[in-house]
Amino acid sequence: MKSVRMLCVVIVTFILAGCATTGPKFNELSPTISNLAPDTGRIYIYRTTILGAAVQPDVKINGEVVGSAVPQGFFYIDRAPGSYEILTSTEVDRKLTLTLDKGEIRFVRLGISMGFMVGHVYPELVENAVGQSEIQECRYIGK
Amino acid sequence: MKGLYKIILSFFMMVCLVGCAFDLVSVKQVPTKLDTGQPPKNPFVLGKETSADIGTSFNTTLKQGTKWQYVGVIPEGDVYKTRDQVLTVEASNIHEAYIVVSSGNLVGFYLPVEKTFAPISQKMELAIQAVTPE
Repeated sequence: MKSVRMLCVVIVTFILAGCATTGPKFNELSPTISNLAPDTGRIYIYRTTILGAAVQPDVKINGEVVGSAVPQGFFYIDRAPGSYEILTSTEVDRKLTLTLDKGEIRFVRLGISMGFMVGHVYPELVENAVGQSEIQECRYIGK
Repeated sequence: MKGLYKIILSFFMMVCLVGCAFDLVSVKQVPTKLDTGQPPKNPFVLGKETSADIGTSFNTTLKQGTKWQYVGVIPEGDVYKTRDQVLTVEASNIHEAYIVVSSGNLVGFYLPVEKTFAPISQKMELAIQAVTPE
């Protein structure tokens, strides 16, 4: 019986280790993040929750894959001012549409909701103060 | 055997219905045209929090004390945006939104990416406090 328990602990440890996100934390990396180019804005995309950790869909912006929805991970993209659609696909597509101005910084949180077979990852626009606070413990997963 | 078929059929119907339900709710939108060429109107501050129902299960709240800047006009009313809060309308998908005001009432939202108007279920009087433009 004891050996079964030990085995369970080992398996759970392996699973959790597999889920662990590597990379520097936001607060470690932020001093080295480049300043915005004059004619661009920046979108930070992050996921705090480890719920549904195995569900890590691509994140697309206007159809282009820019990253993945990795639990406790973040990345950012700089883009020209304009209109953007951020999309994640699991069983269904979930999208967020937003505008970006010159010099503007926006925070998009990737949440997860219940699905039929797998959870649904959805992007939502959050207040900058909220995003700035929540992203601190996330780890950089950009390229 | 007949009972087993019924169970299997019920299961598949349930799967189909649940699958449809995930994308059942969408924001009602109509195409519109934003005219930014008109003389600008004064900004205002919202004196009271207002929560609007767009016919989905998600309400959109305009926070008290937020300042709204004139953007332009659409046939349904004047369009204002704010930098003091994130404003979105939400159903299965989420859309950034500006407010549409007619005769002091909130009548709906302008979605700047989609370039559409999303009406609210019932117009709502806004507690508008005039401010002088910067």
